[in-house]
Amino acid sequence: MDEKVFLSRRRFIFGTALTLTGVVSGFIFSDKALAELIILDEKEKVLGLTPSIWVEITKENKVVVTVARSEIGQGVRTTFAMIVAEELDADWNLVVAVNAEADSKYGNQATGGSTSVRNFWTTLRSAGAQARQLLINAASQIWGIPAENCYTSNSFVYERNGTRKLAYAELIDKAVQLPVPPANSVKLKSVSDFKILGKPQKNIDEPFFVTGKVTFGSDYRVEGMKYAVILRCPYIGGSLSSYDDTEAKKIKGVVGVYRLSEGIAVVADNSWLALKGRDALKVNWNRGPNANLTTDQIFDKFRSLVETFPNLSNETVKEIETIYEVPFLAHSTMEPMSAFANYKEGKCEIWAGTQNPQNARTTVASALGISENNVKVNVLHSGGGFGRRLNSDFVVIAAKIAKASGFPVLFFYTKADDIKNDYFRPASLHSIKAGINANGKPTGFFHRVISQGDVSYVNPHYSLPDVRNYTASHSFGVRTGPWRSVDYTQNIFVIESVIDELAHLAGKDPFQYRMDLTNDAKLKNVLRKVAENSKWGTELPKGWGRGISSFVGYGAYIAHVVEVSVSKEGFLKIQKIYAVVDPGFPVNPENIKNQIMGAGIDGLSTALNSEITIQNGQIQQSGFHNFRWLRIDEVPEFDIEILTTSDRPSGMGEVGFPSVTPALCNAIFDATGIRIRRLPIGKTPLLKVDEKENKSKDLEFNAYPNPFETKVTINIKTNDNKSSNLSVRIFDILGKLVFESKLSSDGTSYHTQLDFENLPSSVYYVVCEFNNQLHSFPILKKN
Amino acid sequence: MKILVNKKEYNLNIDPDMPLLWVLRDILYLTGTKYGCGIGVCKTCTVLIDGVPEQSCVVPVSYVENKEITTIEGLSADGNHPLQKAWFEKSVSQCGYCQPGFILQAAYLISKNPKPSLDDINRALSEHICRCGTYSKIREAILFATKE
Ligand code: FES
Ligand code: FES
Repeated sequence: MDEKVFLSRRRFIFGTALTLTGVVSGFIFSDKALAELIILDEKEKVLGLTPSIWVEITKENKVVVTVARSEIGQGVRTTFAMIVAEELDADWNLVVAVNAEADSKYGNQATGGSTSVRNFWTTLRSAGAQARQLLINAASQIWGIPAENCYTSNSFVYERNGTRKLAYAELIDKAVQLPVPPANSVKLKSVSDFKILGKPQKNIDEPFFVTGKVTFGSDYRVEGMKYAVILRCPYIGGSLSSYDDTEAKKIKGVVGVYRLSEGIAVVADNSWLALKGRDALKVNWNRGPNANLTTDQIFDKFRSLVETFPNLSNETVKEIETIYEVPFLAHSTMEPMSAFANYKEGKCEIWAGTQNPQNARTTVASALGISENNVKVNVLHSGGGFGRRLNSDFVVIAAKIAKASGFPVLFFYTKADDIKNDYFRPASLHSIKAGINANGKPTGFFHRVISQGDVSYVNPHYSLPDVRNYTASHSFGVRTGPWRSVDYTQNIFVIESVIDELAHLAGKDPFQYRMDLTNDAKLKNVLRKVAENSKWGTELPKGWGRGISSFVGYGAYIAHVVEVSVSKEGFLKIQKIYAVVDPGFPVNPENIKNQIMGAGIDGLSTALNSEITIQNGQIQQSGFHNFRWLRIDEVPEFDIEILTTSDRPSGMGEVGFPSVTPALCNAIFDATGIRIRRLPIGKTPLLKVDEKENKSKDLEFNAYPNPFETKVTINIKTNDNKSSNLSVRIFDILGKLVFESKLSSDGTSYHTQLDFENLPSSVYYVVCEFNNQLHSFPILKKN
Repeated sequence: MKILVNKKEYNLNIDPDMPLLWVLRDILYLTGTKYGCGIGVCKTCTVLIDGVPEQSCVVPVSYVENKEITTIEGLSADGNHPLQKAWFEKSVSQCGYCQPGFILQAAYLISKNPKPSLDDINRALSEHICRCGTYSKIREAILFATKE
């Protein structure tokens, strides 16, 4: 029995945590109790059976599964536990998941690329099957019968043709004396025998989420700990010139101020005092080489890198040559980055929500100048990841502060820090040339990706002739990194929009056009099914539209249809979203549904509103108020169908993102004839304002300046200026009332100045009612 | 200063201006109440003060003296509040970080309106952000919890 393995992954270097760590059990609601929460620490005597590093059977008859990927909301703790439990024939209610600490023995622990289930599928199944065989062997020896005469079910070994049975825990004493059957000697179940996998299972952590008992990275607490924040240079590429911490240090409870290469850290008795201390710092920055940088400059540079494409083949009868633009995005996780660190005598212990514990361990070791063996990285739940936590910046800062101050510290970014110091999804410009022949078939697809931060091109997932890709990039020092579905985020938006453009150029139905462009049966299948589910081709009310799009990646296939309406005023409403996903084998259909909904809302939110912009060398956004996310009253219902088409699972965390944005934009085109080639959509009025109509006999509208920065003056002339109470209502792109304003009359016209100071940059609609008629005028708040 | 959290009384010697959020998290170690933005925008830090949802990040602790605070840890003795059960039944959470705020807001909603419509739910929760996009499941769970 290898007791050490089990202990070591739960042992604390320094004492015991005060809050509960995320070690939880599967459970059923009973009237008695929520569930038991197992807290394992060095004081607990563990005398279990550990046939491998992946699973332990405890004396209490629990099955403890070690999860070597990070839980960021993608459900991996549940999924991994299910995989082991299935092959082990464990009682699902007795299954517990624990997080592995950073250790090379677990293989690659980076949670990215939707690889977790695919990479661990066979390993974890074998681990379950080996443990099961070991327990059978133990029972067969105890009973003196051949192993073939034993079978397992719900954490018991039974005697076939007999009445004897033993719980797994009762077999431990015998089993620890027997050799673990080698992985290649055990037979894995066939899919048709699965009892847990492929069936919707509830999140193993749900009881603890809903009672506040899960320990996220920012929740870790120990006796005597301190709290720390950092002040970092707001200028991209700038640096610290000088600072004065006299006032900060005067605040009672501020225990230290430390200069790190990343900025100035303030350590205090609690988070609030740390923030107060930081506010009291006086700082001068060197603004650096990019002090005047703006997002417009970046896109101007992109445009200067556009080159002329070669000619399309000479059967081309019609062609499009156009540009798509995609902005920087922040990850904006719900829980800002944070990490707990404790440093003593050359040893460092970390507790953090990280997607990359091994990288955190390496980078902390090198930052502190100690050996990796003296760094322990424990993984806690993350309040969202989306790729952000693959970077270890926040863990390293925590470790440095712990070392500098000598205290155990919880370091955290505020929401504003978190956005401004993100590793953004790169911004890119896509120049495109594509054409069709006399039959409407594509004759070529040329795509040049120009980006700040690496963006690889992606080949279209349809069969197109003469596909040519080019890339170029230019760095302005804006930090970039992976963002849910990475290069697909931009590329699929562009590719699926251009396919739509070609379909319309050819006068073909966009669904049928796609079907004719592929021989891939699985792709055809998801497209056909989503068309069926959405009643593609049936008539919609006036002002409504449908858009279709698909994506192939992470071993899976998916197709989306988005249904929208655009009102007379220009208000966009997302009516419904349909998805058909083919994961091959759906490991946990309930979780797949959650992922497809979550990624779908990511797709809609970012497409509509989200953009990180730069002015004067600084990131402009600072929170959910100016980096918006959809709210519950803005999201449509989802219609999701999950197929089963093979025995092998695929990656489900990212697949739901890429085809949502183009389906939405294609739907807007269907509804309005307006083609969105620049994200976010909120930058484009969905109302074609006709100059003549603007000066209808009733009412003449004028906004100055437009686009505007914060304030805009509205002038309205009517044919009747006697009524003194004309007012306008300002709506956002989704038709939410933002504010109302009364106009004053000077005898010939009405006017007012509107202030958009605290509102995100976007199109807004100024709506006024006059002579029982609604008039709507778009205005644009620019960055 | 005395404050009452989840029916337990605490005697604190702290700055009355300190936001309740940090008192809960850093002094009482009640970390179920989450920090999302600190400026009243995301509602993830919502707690009930005398039964009414408020954002603990913008409420100074002096404001809650002699008032009763309920955090997610105190919503029910055993995790058996109908909403907690419904959340489990519908497997709502993804990362789970925003859920305490949603649940407390929803608990207030159903205390005032035991049979909320979809519109009532959307309206009551329209200021809360779930970055993972669990909104549809939240709607389902509240409807599930409040059907006969
Ligand atoms: S943390 Fe209080 S509203 Fe966001
Ligand atoms: S579940 Fe992650 S933010 Fe809501």
